[in-house]
Amino acid sequence: MTSKFHQRIRLALENPVLQSALDNNAERRNTARRTIYQSLPQDLQIMRQKAHAIRADVIEHLELYLEKFSANAQQNGWIVHRAATAQHAVQIVLEITKSHHAKRVAKSKSMISEEIELNAALEKAGIEVIETDLGEYIVQLRKEHPAHIITPAVHLTRQQVGQLFHEKFGIPFTEDVPTMTATARRVLREVFLTAEIGLSGVNFGVADNGLVCIVTNEGNARMVTTLPPVHIALMGIERLVPTLEDLAIMLYLLPRSATGQKLTVYTSLIRAPSQDGDGCRERHLVLVDNGRLAMRETPLKEALYCIRCGACFNACPVFREIGGHSYVGVSGRFTPYGGPIGSIISGGLFGYTEFGHLARASSLCGACREACPVDIDLPKLLLRVRAGKITPLSQPTPTKPNTPTLLKWGLKFFAGIATRPSLFSLAQRLAGMGSFLISPSKNWLKLPAITGWGYSKDFPRPATKPFRDIWKEILDENTYPSQTLNDKPIYADNPKPVSSYSSPNLTDWFERELTDLGGRFIACDTATLAQKILDFLKENQIAIVQAWRSEHLPASLLSLLYQNNIIIKHQPDPEIRVGITAVECAIAESGTLVIPGDQDRPITSSLLPETHLAILRSSDILPRLPEALQRQEHIKAPLTVLISGPSRTADIEMTLTIGVHGPGEVHVFILQDQ
Amino acid sequence: MRKTVQLFITCIIDTLYPEIGKAVVQVLRRVGNSVEFSPYQTCCGQPAFNAGLWDQARTIAVHTIKTFEKTQGDIVIPSGSCASMIRHHYPELFERDPTWSKRAKDFAERVYELSEYLVDRLGMTEIGARFPHKITYHSSCHLLRELGVDRQPRALLSHVHEAEFIELPGTTDCCGFGGVFSVEHPEISAAMLERKIKNIENSGADYVVSCDAGCITNINGGLHRLNIPQRALHIAEVLACT
Repeated sequence: MTSKFHQRIRLALENPVLQSALDNNAERRNTARRTIYQSLPQDLQIMRQKAHAIRADVIEHLELYLEKFSANAQQNGWIVHRAATAQHAVQIVLEITKSHHAKRVAKSKSMISEEIELNAALEKAGIEVIETDLGEYIVQLRKEHPAHIITPAVHLTRQQVGQLFHEKFGIPFTEDVPTMTATARRVLREVFLTAEIGLSGVNFGVADNGLVCIVTNEGNARMVTTLPPVHIALMGIERLVPTLEDLAIMLYLLPRSATGQKLTVYTSLIRAPSQDGDGCRERHLVLVDNGRLAMRETPLKEALYCIRCGACFNACPVFREIGGHSYVGVSGRFTPYGGPIGSIISGGLFGYTEFGHLARASSLCGACREACPVDIDLPKLLLRVRAGKITPLSQPTPTKPNTPTLLKWGLKFFAGIATRPSLFSLAQRLAGMGSFLISPSKNWLKLPAITGWGYSKDFPRPATKPFRDIWKEILDENTYPSQTLNDKPIYADNPKPVSSYSSPNLTDWFERELTDLGGRFIACDTATLAQKILDFLKENQIAIVQAWRSEHLPASLLSLLYQNNIIIKHQPDPEIRVGITAVECAIAESGTLVIPGDQDRPITSSLLPETHLAILRSSDILPRLPEALQRQEHIKAPLTVLISGPSRTADIEMTLTIGVHGPGEVHVFILQDQ
Repeated sequence: MRKTVQLFITCIIDTLYPEIGKAVVQVLRRVGNSVEFSPYQTCCGQPAFNAGLWDQARTIAVHTIKTFEKTQGDIVIPSGSCASMIRHHYPELFERDPTWSKRAKDFAERVYELSEYLVDRLGMTEIGARFPHKITYHSSCHLLRELGVDRQPRALLSHVHEAEFIELPGTTDCCGFGGVFSVEHPEISAAMLERKIKNIENSGADYVVSCDAGCITNINGGLHRLNIPQRALHIAEVLACT
């Protein structure tokens, strides 16, 4: 009875620190998710159904989309690898690192790397791997597994992190989250600049054009995909969308469901390695199957629709009690995927005997499905796992259900009487009389804890006269004869989400959203732009900036700065505190800047400096995300990033902290068109 | 003209709560129905189904379908969870059997959860109930999320005379019952129930109303163990009071 899983559960329930962290997570994330859904351009249910249909189509025709995506990515200059198994994927990564004589790998968050246990393999090969997502970094320093797919350090308090940083970095103990974040920024900055290889996950691959989409808030994924000369992207083969239009729907739902944001701070669209100069020169894409194609042939297929937003974790009342570290196999092995979706796919991908029991730890309340942005019927899948419906339908010998023995025999007995009404009725009477003899004066039975029920509650004494016997008495008893109670039917007044702003003034809308994110909005015109920028630089005693080349910036801006003794550089330099860029276009609904990167428009100028000054023409403000993604211009650049406000994290105690790896300040100079 | 309805009382109410069964009959009669009860009925098969024993669940489902095929008219179930079992899970049980699939579907089409039946099928929300107490409402999971029934019980409760309705904090949170889950994972179930009970206490209501006897058994079991005087009631018990 006391399995390793049960032991973990007990430890979690007895840990008050963990309990309060989990409560905090559930309350904040669930509220944030529900609130932000109000800002969707369409009814949430309609968008969920669309997203569901897109994912269903991708999984149904996975080979086709995979082929198309691989071909397009290859065409764009990616080196594409296919890995059938975890071992194979690890092998591919090891070979790439070896061929570059890499000693240091900077890594951004990738659940698939957890799945294939990559870090251990790299370390074994003598390669230093450093996690750069703040939460992942913290759990790596503590030699732990992530406790949540979105918020890896959800189980820790600021005191624990403060103590950890004190021990590891020799800084004085602090409970101040911004201080801790600044420390991580400092330590990891050096990692980004020295790593030979950057390793990232992938949120979506776009089959139509081979784009790789990665969403992050801190900016670490931008760092690992641009600063080291070589980038390896690890991707589960199912993480595809057919078109940019479909990507837009996913991007409407993923950040909202994951963290309650309209868009994450950074949405990177990586098309190709950069030809020369700025940025990463070699990009590898490792497409990992590791059981996915096989799972597609089973009744658990729908679990492959998952976009890893973690909303089901936050909504799940069981996760809220036991946390991510409790989801262990029979042998005590961790699964990278806990929570409701993990309780399905762990058994489906990594072994039913080891992980099948996780699906039994669910009250089937359906909160997971309700929270799922792609409407996966998680309760149905959990039930299938319990019933052993995890093998291909064609397989002649189905897997047996994993029902515990005692329960199985009890229920088999129950099924025997429930199909024979006379026996059923007899059993009811026996139960009624038997319990009456045990507890003649009380209506409640105190069952021992070992029964499960008696652990925390009493059981009502079965009636000595079940309803079927009483029925005979009330059969003719017209105590409440028919009355004519006429009453108008009532109809639901289901509140429909209204999109927050229907205002046609896009500049105002953009300004409101940008300001909400903590960005600054400076209105100007062509005549005043240079002076306003100059004022800003003078005020902050900035003498040197990293900027785009002048042909991509408003005419004479750089020469005016130059005349005023500002040194202008185009190459990345960690010492530079201000970066100046123009903007391809902007998205009003989320306060987002769309910024392409290439040789003349160094992407690092919106990443490395602590302050980013962006110049935007008001006519380039588009209302919504799909319109921005449909602009083909940015797809031509090797890399485009959608920036929504300053870099941020909430990895320590869900405390929002601005400025992790990317700029802590974003100032947008809006050129009002004449 | 009186309408004939079949009552599927559910195994829990049949065995543990005949008084809830009586209340259901009273309510159905009061709104102008003639109630029939087939003594051959037993259980919908959900416990076995949720435990993973689909073969056993199927035999119970077959028995239930056969039993009600011999009857006519709408079938009312005073439990969202059992109604959902029939509507959402029977199709999967009989997926590979076209004949039984059809029979299960025809059966499911006749089935209504009690509050759904009163409000959506009959169009009634005021049924002359009087219950002079402070009440709150626990949204049972399968009723709320699988059947999408929430406004119906709320509409019925809002028309109960002299009742003071208080919203339950965290009303849509699971109470921790989950059928076999509560026995297989008593610790997690207990933690979830503790949260529910705290909310019930904080609501200040005398009674917490639910449409599912499973939740009622769970919540009352916890309240009784902790010597808390509040009680969970089935919606029929409230509606039957005049």
